[in-house]
Amino acid sequence: MELKLQDLIRTVVRSVGLGIVSLGIAGMIDHATAESPGRTITVATWGGPYQHSQEKAYFEPFTQETGIHVKTDLYGGGIAELRKHMAGRAPTWDLVDMTMADNRAACKLGLLERIDHAILLPAPDGTPADQDFVDGALTECAVSPIIFAMVTAYNRDAFPGNRPTQIGDIFDLRQFPGKRALQRLPEANLEWALRSYGVPREDVYQLLSTERGLRLAFERLDAIRDHVHWWTSVDEPLELLTSGEVVMASLYNGRAFDAAVIHGHPVEIIWDAQIYELGAWGIPKGTPNLDEVLGFIRFATGTHPLADQAKYIPYGPARRSSMKLVSTHAQTGVDMRPHLPTSPANFETAIPKDTEWYASLYDRIKARFDSWLAPP
Amino acid sequence: MRAGVNSAGRIVSIAALGIAAGALASLAAIGFVELVAVLNEWLLITPRSRFMMEDKRLLLIATVCVPAAGGLVVGLIHNSIPERRSHGPPDIIQSVQEMDGRIPVRTGFLSAVASVVSLGAGASVGQYGPLAHVGATLGSLVARVNRDSRWMATVGVGCGVAAAISTAFNAPIAGIVFAHEVILRHYSLRAFAPITVAATMGHVMANVVFERPPLFRLDAISVNFAPEFLGFILIGAVGAFVAVFYMRAILFANRIARTIPCANALKPMLAGAGLGLAAIWLPDILGIGKETLRFAVIDHAFAPGELAFLLVAKILATALCIGFGFAGGVFSPALLIGILFGALAGNGAELILGDLRSDIGIYAICGMVAVTSAVIGAPLTTILIVFELTRNYDLATAAMVSVVFSNLVSYRAFGRSLFDVQLHMRGFDLTAGREKVMLDRRLIENYITRDHTELAPDASLDAAMSRLLEARSHEGYVVDADGVYLGTVKLDDLMTTKERNETGTGVTVACLAKPEALILTAGTTVWAAMAQMGDFVGESIPVLDDDGHGRMLGVVYEASIVKAYLDTMNDIRREENAGA
Repeated sequence: MELKLQDLIRTVVRSVGLGIVSLGIAGMIDHATAESPGRTITVATWGGPYQHSQEKAYFEPFTQETGIHVKTDLYGGGIAELRKHMAGRAPTWDLVDMTMADNRAACKLGLLERIDHAILLPAPDGTPADQDFVDGALTECAVSPIIFAMVTAYNRDAFPGNRPTQIGDIFDLRQFPGKRALQRLPEANLEWALRSYGVPREDVYQLLSTERGLRLAFERLDAIRDHVHWWTSVDEPLELLTSGEVVMASLYNGRAFDAAVIHGHPVEIIWDAQIYELGAWGIPKGTPNLDEVLGFIRFATGTHPLADQAKYIPYGPARRSSMKLVSTHAQTGVDMRPHLPTSPANFETAIPKDTEWYASLYDRIKARFDSWLAPP
Repeated sequence: MRAGVNSAGRIVSIAALGIAAGALASLAAIGFVELVAVLNEWLLITPRSRFMMEDKRLLLIATVCVPAAGGLVVGLIHNSIPERRSHGPPDIIQSVQEMDGRIPVRTGFLSAVASVVSLGAGASVGQYGPLAHVGATLGSLVARVNRDSRWMATVGVGCGVAAAISTAFNAPIAGIVFAHEVILRHYSLRAFAPITVAATMGHVMANVVFERPPLFRLDAISVNFAPEFLGFILIGAVGAFVAVFYMRAILFANRIARTIPCANALKPMLAGAGLGLAAIWLPDILGIGKETLRFAVIDHAFAPGELAFLLVAKILATALCIGFGFAGGVFSPALLIGILFGALAGNGAELILGDLRSDIGIYAICGMVAVTSAVIGAPLTTILIVFELTRNYDLATAAMVSVVFSNLVSYRAFGRSLFDVQLHMRGFDLTAGREKVMLDRRLIENYITRDHTELAPDASLDAAMSRLLEARSHEGYVVDADGVYLGTVKLDDLMTTKERNETGTGVTVACLAKPEALILTAGTTVWAAMAQMGDFVGESIPVLDDDGHGRMLGVVYEASIVKAYLDTMNDIRREENAGA
């Protein structure tokens, strides 16, 4: 009963708020933020070229259209960080750009607001949003803007002869000696380790769900553990790779593109067994700017802003209508399609990250990973 | 002109049969497999769903209760089927070998539901037998469009089976061969054409329309060391014994189940509960065990002891489930048992050959095909499945060696296949060829004529002679007032007796009547009659009723039996040599 009443109030508040936002009469009736000249929302996101693409594609256009400013804060992924921020003295995040796995887990823990997908804009041809978004993009607490991938890449200079071409090469120290930079998390590492045994990609999570599968995966990682540099911040692997400190690294495909195409570094993606995932906008529970944030989501997940984002970073838009509009890179004029993780050639061996699996098992898998990582 | 139209019509109907039966069977197969997968995920059978379940107590309860409840549902469904069991490949074989080709739709549907429930609830049974039966039912249904054509019915069944197997394994050629090797058991162009169309249809559906992943994927592996082929022969021979043990275990469990004093409908539930209890401790035995199948081709994923233990556990679990009446096939568990055996053999080979040994995957696959081909009696199909799934020539060649040796041994030790042995136990013997099967189905009662001379026991010789002469008959049958046959009198005997005994008074036919050397009953099969007829000389054979009272129903002429035999042989020959 209590819950229903809450929902009702929230819906009313939300619709009223939305009306106000879309009427564009922002600022005129604002009493709460009397100190600042305009209203502001704070978005926690990942920094780097990715954040740059967001600024260009929808932060700036949004401010232009509504007068609402977008302030950004750095978020490095994971639920722990979100939880810490929300438990802090003065939580300021109104919106967090998360991975779908984290979003699911956070949603399950009640850290996020539920999102009514009816607020989303239809495609330009009138296709309703729920049919225009790719499968799995709209969940209880999330609207997904993009598809991104964790890939492996190598430094071309390190392997002048035989080059790595498949995921198993990461674990092959004989043919491809040198340090590797891998994320200090179970994600992707376990999948790749098991895939390197020849386990088909569609069975990876079923097999990782058995004691035997986990054991095999960790055994594979054991074999290279002395040659791994574990990274924690998303900028790290690229720095290590371009500086020559490591010869191979796992990293997000957007950053690898940035290094190779924009900055001309000898970085080459191994398009095998990319772990792709959907990004997810999530609203921390209890934000005072709920209406503004919903207005932002509605704007930023429209067909054009999502297509525009691919002018700055090679992430696949989560809307089918946007996918058709993807063109060239804003700065270099490079055709962006072959660089998207969703481009057919790159997508053939892709492993969809099982976010449901991670959402319910994250703590257990992470604990297992940490205890493996810790010296015995 | 008319001939042209006719042959065009024939070609169109052959193609249409293949396309329609193929499309339907393939769609049904995909639906079936998907449904089982969804149920497995919901009902906490798959490792993923079990691993993700946070409430361990609930998981424990589900592990026991889900198979038990599934068993109950299956038992109840079986109550609505006349034979009180689900139908499977043996029933298809029987129907086709009898040149009937009609698969009852209601039974087919109920069997499919029972199989989905069994597999969905994690029973240790196979999915390919039920899939083949679903295909056969649909193929037979399509063929009913033309009721008059007998060939259509059997070929329709073949089409459905081929499409289902082609879809399930993503192996069209194996589908075609399976339909011929296991179901039809002959090759005719008329059957081959539509079956090929149907199998291709299944392949298109599985690959192009739905893009289903193949059952198996192995990276390029090859045989490193020629003497290993000796090992593959050995795997075949020993694999045959594993297969025989597996098949005997199933039959044995079935005998045990029959002696248990409990309603038939409840027996699958007992098996389900037993399976669930064991699965608490060894969850690998639940369901089809696809994950174990994957692990077996990975070197050192299992210790040899684990392989052996799991091998025995899976055989027992499957025997329990099938023997106690769960609905499902024997093929998928055989795949798993075989691959575990093969991996075990690979471990053994490593002890002997060390680093020279080829990839364990080759050994695992050889073990897999050795066991499965012996169980389903389909050497060619299994070789082709390996070839089509892996597209690996080396692997197929190695598998071929294991398959033939396994079949040689298991044929001697057990029989052609579990299906044939099960059919034999139901009184349907395929070992002596199709003509026996067909002639065994034809009963003498259909060939009886009343065109004979009956004599009362007290008839005088004169009267008898004149009756016989009048009827232009050589033999008379002495039958009492109740119609009971007492013996036969021959015209020659009557005449000689009369010559010797001029008076002829007081002598009745009863004194002369001697029972015929060969007497048949109405229920004798034409096959049995043929076998007994060898030494018979005479016009016609008396036929008595089956109830043992000895009442005479009429006679059957030797020529009628020979004609029945020739007709049957002709039918078979016509079907087996039919052109397009």
